[in-house]
Amino acid sequence: MKNYFLRRFIYSLFTIFLIATVTFFMMHSIPGGPFTREKPVPPEIMRALNAKYHLDDPLIVQYVDYLKGLVTFDMGPSFSKTGTSVNDLIKAGFPITARVGFLAVLLITVLGLPVGIISALRQNRPIDYFVMFMATLGVTIPSFVLATVFIYFFAGKLGWFPPFGLATPLGYVGPVIALSGYSLSFVARLTRSSMLEVLRQDYIRTARANGLKELSVLGKHAMKNALIPVVTYLGPTIAALMTGSFVVERIFAIPGIGRYFVESVSNRDYTTIMGVTVLYAAFYVLMVFLVDVLYAIIDPRIKFEKESG
Amino acid sequence: MMESLNFEPATAEEARDQEILRNSLTYWQDVWRRLKNHKLAMVGLFGVIFIILFAVFGPLFSPFSYSDQNLDFANTPPRLNIYQVAENPDYNVFLTRDYKLLHVSDNGTILNRLKLDDKDVINKKYTYVDGNKFVLLDFAYNLLPGMEAEYDYTFSLNGAPEISQPLQKVPNRLYPFGSDDLGRSLLVRVMFGARISLTIAFVASLVNLLVGVVYGSIAAYEGGRTDNFMMRFVDLLNSIPLVIYIILIMVLVGNRGLWTLTLALGSVYWVQMARLVRGQVLSLKEQEFVLAARALGVNRSHIIFRHLVPNAIGPIIVAMTMMIPSAVFTEAFIAFIGLGVSAPMASWGTLANDGLTGLLSYPYQLFFPSLAIAITMLCFNFLGDGLRDALDPRLRKG
Repeated sequence: MKNYFLRRFIYSLFTIFLIATVTFFMMHSIPGGPFTREKPVPPEIMRALNAKYHLDDPLIVQYVDYLKGLVTFDMGPSFSKTGTSVNDLIKAGFPITARVGFLAVLLITVLGLPVGIISALRQNRPIDYFVMFMATLGVTIPSFVLATVFIYFFAGKLGWFPPFGLATPLGYVGPVIALSGYSLSFVARLTRSSMLEVLRQDYIRTARANGLKELSVLGKHAMKNALIPVVTYLGPTIAALMTGSFVVERIFAIPGIGRYFVESVSNRDYTTIMGVTVLYAAFYVLMVFLVDVLYAIIDPRIKFEKESG
Repeated sequence: MMESLNFEPATAEEARDQEILRNSLTYWQDVWRRLKNHKLAMVGLFGVIFIILFAVFGPLFSPFSYSDQNLDFANTPPRLNIYQVAENPDYNVFLTRDYKLLHVSDNGTILNRLKLDDKDVINKKYTYVDGNKFVLLDFAYNLLPGMEAEYDYTFSLNGAPEISQPLQKVPNRLYPFGSDDLGRSLLVRVMFGARISLTIAFVASLVNLLVGVVYGSIAAYEGGRTDNFMMRFVDLLNSIPLVIYIILIMVLVGNRGLWTLTLALGSVYWVQMARLVRGQVLSLKEQEFVLAARALGVNRSHIIFRHLVPNAIGPIIVAMTMMIPSAVFTEAFIAFIGLGVSAPMASWGTLANDGLTGLLSYPYQLFFPSLAIAITMLCFNFLGDGLRDALDPRLRKG
């Protein structure tokens, strides 16, 4: 078991390394540097700028420097925001993004899971139809539509919530709803179908026949297996939500990581793009790793398959 | 002797019972029969057909092209609140939210824009002129403190009594979905947006399909070390946040054409398809018909593409149907953060992005593209669900 985790961990590190490498070379193959402007910069200044940011070193030296920086968690200076480092940007943006993301994840788990389970237990009853109707709607509406409709009605027409920013606790309502809408619906659907699948299994009938209490049948026997696909889905989703949805942050004017990413893409701020990409990817890979670990704990079969396969 | 007692000749009627009256169904006929009984799937299917027709033929019926601009008629909503300032002959006007006065016919066709002649900003009185007609607009009522009037505007033509109540709401005949901030018909732009969004989605899904099927089936058929290596690569791709990579590819390529976006989407999402096909082929390749083909000396690519892949076509089609809406979704997402196709072309995502800026004043500019995206997603999802049930009854969900 330990061996398996260790192997998975090394594999994750390797993935992050590979992502960092690919991102680095991708960014450096883009024609035009970060200081290319409409009005050409005088060559002396260009040279000085390039020297300052070590852009005149051979590519391989820059790459090694960059990797060295990554190992010490130093992402270098931002090209477009003079005087700030990428670390500063991440330090400023990440907590905000993570807070909104955490609330979204919370909403998904405390609402999506029970709703899916209830829906499965009351299959083909009105409540099931209602839940499935809402969930189907939820997976077909893009987050930006959800966000703008929210702003239009609840912030604009009714004035219940602030239309942008996170100055008050009420400001979180819109972003969290918009961010979690899709995943919430997806989780509800997934939980329902996987719960239905499990409830049809023989061992559930056996458990019931043995006179176990319904609560114990569902909570102890059915849930554990029904949640496996949900956990698989939730891992990467948590990573995606915690590291921010660019769109939602843009609409609600939240100064999180996502907005920096979009800004840095249009500003050609290479170090920020790389920094945010690597951060995002590392987080994602970490979550996938955690899901794998969790997997081996809930379902011993999976561990065995992975080790033999 | 006993036998002759136990057997009697069948009557004509009984003989008829044994006849095969119906033709036997082929696989696809059977699928179609099952699909037809699935109501939601049929709704989805007709929805999809309608959307495609809308995209392909819709623009042909419109006098405008997607890039025709008319700044005079910018930002007109889909329903016009018209005021009748003169009767016999009727003279109706519509005031846009940026205080442009438009001359509108009774049935809602915008005829021309009145020239702004005089602006009395302090008293909030504007004078508009159209030939020998002068229209005075007074909009001070609700703007001054303490003056809560029942109405927002009054109009008077050539000094006639003031008209303060709108005659009626008429549908905008010229621009059924309204017009955008450059006076382009939103209906036509949504139809053209459908072309772009759907083209990207279809082609990207096709690329995914091809790459995924080839990759997955080869990995599965070869097995062993090749399979291991190929699937490790897929695992690797799977642990990368793909949206970020699409964004990076878009930045890298720089030109925001249709094909860039298609390739960016197509190059990234084949991973799931490859996994699915691998799983199918793994279980199929142990079956006897493959052994028979091998024994007959059929070569490898023939076995894979003639024998294995066609047998896995059901799940592949279902996956493909589900892939199209997610491609529409991703494209809209990317367009929304400003990396979509470049102007004046527009996909649904770019249209929604454009509509966002004027959300509170012109909500319809965001509403229609969003509605188009949502309807498309819904139809493809319904169709996909139905197809899954029809193609593989074993997968039928609870």
